[in-house]
Amino acid sequence: MDELEILKQDWKKQESNYPHLSYDQIYKMLWKKSSSIVKWIFVISVLEFLFWAVLSVFYINDEYWAQVERIHLTEFTIAIYIISYTITFYFIYQFYRNYKKISATDDAVTLMDNILKTRKTVKLYIAYVIISTLVTALVSIYFTMEYHINSAEVLDSTKDYSFDFNQWAILLCFTVLFILIFLGLIWLFYRLLYGILLKRLAKNYKELKKLEI
Amino acid sequence: MKKELEHQFVTNLEKHQNIVHKICRIYTNDQASHNDLFQEITIQLWKAYPKFRGDAKFSTWMYRVALNTAITLYRKKKRGIQTQDYDSVHFRIQAEEYNNETEQQLKLLYNAVKELNDIEKALVFLYLEDKNYKEISETLGISEVNARVKMNRVKTKLKAILNP
Repeated sequence: MDELEILKQDWKKQESNYPHLSYDQIYKMLWKKSSSIVKWIFVISVLEFLFWAVLSVFYINDEYWAQVERIHLTEFTIAIYIISYTITFYFIYQFYRNYKKISATDDAVTLMDNILKTRKTVKLYIAYVIISTLVTALVSIYFTMEYHINSAEVLDSTKDYSFDFNQWAILLCFTVLFILIFLGLIWLFYRLLYGILLKRLAKNYKELKKLEI
Repeated sequence: MKKELEHQFVTNLEKHQNIVHKICRIYTNDQASHNDLFQEITIQLWKAYPKFRGDAKFSTWMYRVALNTAITLYRKKKRGIQTQDYDSVHFRIQAEEYNNETEQQLKLLYNAVKELNDIEKALVFLYLEDKNYKEISETLGISEVNARVKMNRVKTKLKAILNP
């Protein structure tokens, strides 16, 4: 006889051997905290959106705008803010929509698909933040260099020495290197965080999808 | 209204709790993990209960949510190695029902099932619960052909584990 058939016979015989929880014991469980990965993904994602939003609020002050004015980037900066807030809101909306779709009553593959989609929205958002930070930083460096000589305040305080081409190049290299390391670390952190959280899901998803056409 | 819903849900779950216990038995190795998973499944069932329309049987609907929780939603807690043999404590096979050889074979079989991956365990579980391939494929979201192929592979794998 087939192994599974032997197992099935025994499985049925054991029906009465399971523990039996009372009505009250089950009732109490309804109010316990869930430890589902969806909850964790939700919490982490909201923290991510908040982190970047709060960071920019603290960073932008009058001094920042004066600095921007000095290097002739006011219009550029305003445009960037409008664009980036629009994009951020779009991501939040998408995230919320995908999150709402997650339902334990779906079949296993659909459920996993929806969780992965939610996660993908946040992943794209982080990629967008990293790329836009890099682009903004590079544009700022370029304009700082371009207008350094024209800035009256800078001339006053630094007229005794000026940078030659090599010094500018070194400054540029270090800045870019610093930004890349910083962003690389953030990226690594996210990979690790979600890697741990979704390892099992990714494995099971692959297993289910195997052979599927 | 809410109270009525709670009462309805708990009564239903109390009646069909064996389904959850059986899933916990397949997916966990010790009593503490069994209780954890049971609790998480209860929470997920309760959260999903407003979506239960009553057009399906409560037990059929339970299979789906409970398996989804075990395979996808549940995050295992880190635990020290448990030395207690959980199966032998809680599911002792009555000695008079089996001869020694069958008992030995069953023990090996249950241990072999423990070595399967999450998806294979789900297939075995649904098979043991007398679900047909249509129901299995609908629960897991894969095609019927795929479910059949996967089940055959599980059978082969079990044979290989038992007769190395």
